[in-house]
Amino acid sequence: MLAVDMSGDSVKAKNGSMVAYDGQMAFKKMSGGGEGLRGMVTRRLTGEQMTVMEVRGQGTCYFADRASEINLVSLHGDKLYVEASNLLCTDAGLRTGTTFTGLRGGATGNGLFTTTVEGMGQAAIMSDGPAVILRVTPQYPLSVDPGAYIAHQGNLQQHFQAGVTFRTLIGEGGGEAFQIRFEGDGLVYVQPSERNTIGGDV
Amino acid sequence: MSAPVIFDPMTLPSDDNVNAYTFCVELKGGEWFLQKGKMIAYYGRIEFNGIGHGRFERLLRTSFHSPLHASDWVVAQGSGKMLLADRAFDVNSYDLEDGNLTIRSGNLLAYQPTLALKQSIVPGFLTLIGTGKFVAASNGPVVFMEPPIRVDPQALVGWADCPSPCHHYDHGYMTGVLGGLRSLTGLGGTSGEEHQFEFVGAGTVLLQSTEMLMAEQATGAVPHEPGVPGGGAGVPGSGHAGQGAAPRLPGQLGDLQRRFGL
Repeated sequence: MLAVDMSGDSVKAKNGSMVAYDGQMAFKKMSGGGEGLRGMVTRRLTGEQMTVMEVRGQGTCYFADRASEINLVSLHGDKLYVEASNLLCTDAGLRTGTTFTGLRGGATGNGLFTTTVEGMGQAAIMSDGPAVILRVTPQYPLSVDPGAYIAHQGNLQQHFQAGVTFRTLIGEGGGEAFQIRFEGDGLVYVQPSERNTIGGDV
Repeated sequence: MSAPVIFDPMTLPSDDNVNAYTFCVELKGGEWFLQKGKMIAYYGRIEFNGIGHGRFERLLRTSFHSPLHASDWVVAQGSGKMLLADRAFDVNSYDLEDGNLTIRSGNLLAYQPTLALKQSIVPGFLTLIGTGKFVAASNGPVVFMEPPIRVDPQALVGWADCPSPCHHYDHGYMTGVLGGLRSLTGLGGTSGEEHQFEFVGAGTVLLQSTEMLMAEQATGAVPHEPGVPGGGAGVPGSGHAGQGAAPRLPGQLGDLQRRFGL
């Protein structure tokens, strides 16, 4: 559960994720995630949809969603890439948008696009079990199972890596046929659980 | 909330838990057996190959004796650090020193090839024999108990050092027509705890703190041989009525008939 103290300022949160509050709060649905008409159209087109509400007021507001674990990410002008379904709450000062992720989405089943959060402030992301944060440096690239990936930040290039051989086709595969390889400089968030992915069983 | 911990290949623990739900294995050119799809991320160069891979023939001969599970297991090989996790369940590693441990097949995540994996004669369980480390998942923390103990079938994770596992039925459940009727129909109320596993002898019993089972891994069918539990029909003509495909539970009509002397 995430508790947000507010004094007249506002946060953007996933629609319906408020579980309790004290003080004075006003909830307003933001059509199109507060990204204006252009953002709305992009989200509609890319399928990376999220319904967002703006919470403004005085006091403490509590957010939670399906008992999933909440991880706070501080952003200082850098960009966080996260799946829309894993984003719970952001400071109102943060800009959200959509971006193309490349081939990866095809195997994760999350679509080819992802949500970006940038600016200064904090964002709360959700994971099934507490997320492990892994640093990627040029010497140490990281490979992640698409089903366990939730978010990344920093200057990272991602490649889609497929180890599909004839063995996979005859049912003797290694079980880890698809991976996302991150190279560059940044942080990757993984959850200790795997979503069901198309690539998960081969 | 404190600042989040950021791990890199230097700070990741070696063969230890990262947090309660994630385990880190360090590979230095060696091998580990792991269940398919439990790897969530890795640094370094690691290859994952199915058990059927020809190069592993020698390895398999010493440490994999469960052909029925072959399609669920892979061998990780190379050098680097890899993270294992399973559906956000608790994971823990255990060291065996020239010992043996039997575990529910769905709970075992990974093990070192210095251990030998064998299929237990109790259906759905696997036995590890030898010296080495293995990683197991459980829904909620694992509790260790000393026999003699009776445990709920759903809470049982495994046992070590040969206590003898057997079924135990509460007395009232077994006696009389009424008892049988009650368990058959549920009329009169049942507590749902009439059936337990009983362990006696020296050893340790591992329990998980929930009765929700992990999804059973397909364990295949045991060979159809006389004397193999769950292995189908017994010796024909041995007089065992109702020893067909499904084991006959007490309280079913067969027992009632016998009580009436039919």
